[in-house]
Amino acid sequence: MECEPQESVRLKIESENVTKRFANVIALDNVSLRINDKELYTLLGPSGCGKTTFLRSLAGFELVDSGKILFDGVDVTLEPAHKRNTGMVFQNYALWPHMTVFDNVAYGLKIRRVPKGEVDKRVRSALEMVKLGGLEKRTPHQLSGGQQQRVAVARALVINPEVLLFDEPLSNLDAKLRLEMRAEIKRIQRDLGITTAYVTHDQEEAMSISDRIAIMQRGKVMQVGSPKDIYFKPENAFVADFIGQGTFFKGKVTGQDHFLNVTIENGNIVKAVPSDPALPPRAGDEVLVAIRPENFKIGGKAENKFECVIYHISFLGKTQRVQGKMGDLTVILEADPDIPLEVDKRVEVSAEPEHTLAIKLTET
Amino acid sequence: MDPLSWIQLGAVLAVFIVFLIAPLIAITYRALASGIQWFAFVFTDPFYFALSLQPTSTFPFVTIQGVRGTLFTWVGSDLVILRGFDLGVIPNSLLVASLTTIFSSIIGFILALMFARYKFCGSNFLRIALLVPLLSTPFVGAIGFKRMTIADGVLNTLFYRYLHLIPFRFEISDISAMIIVQTLLFYPIVFLNAYTAIVNIDPTMEEQAENLGASGFRLFRSVTLPLATPGLEAGALLVFILSLEDLGTPIVFVGTAAQKVLTYQVFQRMFTPAGYISEEATALALLLLIISAVIFVVIRKYVSLRRYAMLTKGGIWRPRTRKISPQTALVIYLFCASLLFVALLPHMGVILLAFAGQWGGGILPDYFTLNNFRYIFSDKLTFQSIINSLSYSAAATAIIILLGVSAAYLVSRKKVAGMAALDTLITIPIAIPGIVVSTGLFLMFLPTFLSPIATAAPLLIMSYTVRKFPFTVRSVFSGLEQTDKALEEAAVNVGASKQRTFFNITMPLVFLNVLGGSMLSFIYSMSEVSTSIVIGAANPSTAPMTFKMYTTYYSLGGGTFPAAAMGFILMILQLIMIVGSNVILRRRATPMLGV
Repeated sequence: MECEPQESVRLKIESENVTKRFANVIALDNVSLRINDKELYTLLGPSGCGKTTFLRSLAGFELVDSGKILFDGVDVTLEPAHKRNTGMVFQNYALWPHMTVFDNVAYGLKIRRVPKGEVDKRVRSALEMVKLGGLEKRTPHQLSGGQQQRVAVARALVINPEVLLFDEPLSNLDAKLRLEMRAEIKRIQRDLGITTAYVTHDQEEAMSISDRIAIMQRGKVMQVGSPKDIYFKPENAFVADFIGQGTFFKGKVTGQDHFLNVTIENGNIVKAVPSDPALPPRAGDEVLVAIRPENFKIGGKAENKFECVIYHISFLGKTQRVQGKMGDLTVILEADPDIPLEVDKRVEVSAEPEHTLAIKLTET
Repeated sequence: MDPLSWIQLGAVLAVFIVFLIAPLIAITYRALASGIQWFAFVFTDPFYFALSLQPTSTFPFVTIQGVRGTLFTWVGSDLVILRGFDLGVIPNSLLVASLTTIFSSIIGFILALMFARYKFCGSNFLRIALLVPLLSTPFVGAIGFKRMTIADGVLNTLFYRYLHLIPFRFEISDISAMIIVQTLLFYPIVFLNAYTAIVNIDPTMEEQAENLGASGFRLFRSVTLPLATPGLEAGALLVFILSLEDLGTPIVFVGTAAQKVLTYQVFQRMFTPAGYISEEATALALLLLIISAVIFVVIRKYVSLRRYAMLTKGGIWRPRTRKISPQTALVIYLFCASLLFVALLPHMGVILLAFAGQWGGGILPDYFTLNNFRYIFSDKLTFQSIINSLSYSAAATAIIILLGVSAAYLVSRKKVAGMAALDTLITIPIAIPGIVVSTGLFLMFLPTFLSPIATAAPLLIMSYTVRKFPFTVRSVFSGLEQTDKALEEAAVNVGASKQRTFFNITMPLVFLNVLGGSMLSFIYSMSEVSTSIVIGAANPSTAPMTFKMYTTYYSLGGGTFPAAAMGFILMILQLIMIVGSNVILRRRATPMLGV
């Protein structure tokens, strides 16, 4: 799949200026997204950001107030939910307690009037795929949380849906199972090459399985990009803050040479590169300076130097994460665990201007 | 809104508009059309409104005039009768309802607290036993109570004549009897509602308060009571309404001031000697309707299909029950036992009467017999009335199931504007006194092909349908609320249509709620009084069982025993249905009132 040429990438799902209001809350505010064929596309954001509403709009459970939703270029905005042929996996699995595992999975096929022999075959193979072969006769009550999850996935897959929709599917599982299911969902998605929209609020989960991520806040899309882009090239302050850890200073662009010169809150001047080269901040613009923890060095010769007092150290195995105070400002960095550091000691840290991002501060 | 929803909505609306709203409008129209002189009359005539303020020259410068009657009267040397004041029909009704509500609330809330907080040997048994008065059927309670407490009744004979435990005979009559009978009948409603509210309080709320230093009465006043208040208030308001609309009790207390209440007066004055519906009764009915409407507006806050829900997320639910010392347990046993004894007086009375051949002044009937039951099953009209009741109730229940499931589904699943109004509409029957509904039905349908003079069947079926609708809807609604909407969405997602989802997924999931709720609707249709005796009177051969109980009780030559026997049969039916319904529903739904 990875050797496929770029040109063959086909749009599978499009939303055009989709808006949805609930009473006086705006859940989706002019959302335009394009999801490619065979892609695992994640909607990520804090709770209440509209990601689930968007997913439910794709499934047809929410009718959008305005805008369009297209599958394969066909407008499905007004298509009722049961005609959309999406396979949805619900947060709480929504297994019907009055039906066996087999009947749960077979239900969609029966509605499609698939002949009985084929129903049997397809249900069995779907259950095999999620490694639940042999449990057909159980009822949902007799299954563990992880097994219920697998039945829900099988039920969504068996109908050969146009798209798979996952609504925080792993949030009810324990940490270990979550990792396992995460890998499995990704494997099944890749093997079947099925376009998938996936909603989560867990950024690690999003980072680990997604081809692309859309980060949402208050009904708006803040940035769309690969996990790597989103981490290293946040286009705005929200994304920079929401994804990963980092050191942030507010400042103002006061000059420009090879780099932007930003005067930060405590008067220091920091050299930085624009986070969005297409729209670089200009002199006088308010910006947020962001540096990822791994881009700091203790001591070091990099151009941006800061002196701070160590406030807290947490040992993480491969690294130690250090929180330092520079007056009122906080610096977060990762250091080799072998470097001896002590709380309340003064250290000098430095970061390369290439890894120091200046993010234009706009409204909100 | 899909076609199925529109059909469901249309059917529910049609039935409620034709058989509830239109009759109520008919009353209003008729009462206003006949001029306001009747209102002027009922507020000035001392029979209806005896109170007036008279200015005086000394402090407090006014006195209330018109209070008649006394609390106690001595008869001879050894009989005290507890009567109560007579303030006129309208104040009487309000006074009875208020005092019944207050007494029921006090008893009910104490019981609720006790059973929600203390665990002791036999507490489960006692808790259920104290709910038994809910099984009381119309007339039955009052007839039994009367038999036990009259001057030469069972209690006086036992405690005065034989045991000499009291210095004089003690009889309860008039308004006092109304209040006491109703309190014994209705306290379980408050008990049930308050108990449910208290056990549903998230224990961590109280733990948090304790953690912050609150304890004892302060904890109770600041956390427990406010959280239990909605349940308590809902129960109390229901009691007020039920007391206000009770017609069975005043019917039994013949010739006393107990009959000077609104329901009985509407009932008694409904027809002019010429056979027309009297304007006086219409005006009274409208007045009763207005009072209930006001209370309904208040009650609406608590008694909709939607319930007060605790916001609880995860955590361990550790009920705050405590073990108590044997001494405290003894006090509780004594309290419960005496309450139980008093509360079961009516039932004991009815059971004894049902099997009595003759009953002079003894503790027990002169002899026991099955003749009363033989009479019921051999007397053609009586037996026919039982068959009538069974078939009307069955028909009504069938309609209720058909429409009630739809209504519950719409209110639960269609979160669109107007569904709150539907919720209100189907909750209204709880608040409208039956006598008002029956007056309205008569007014509206007398000149039509549904006239009760031809046959009482269609109007009775529809009246039961509308009046007992909330029981089923409530049960189904709570079933739906406990059924995750995602279960339906999952079916739609894999391609099932709305209709298909409704029948394949929704219905099987709430089937037990439908069954449990409809059993309640059925049994409360069987024991319905107000519309039964009014509409049944128009054509006695098509009248239901409660009408026959009423006429039998009043018939010459002592109809008390056969009437009690019919009450006994109803009681057994109720027992089967309510226990059955509770077993089925168990934790699926909280019973609404059980009356």
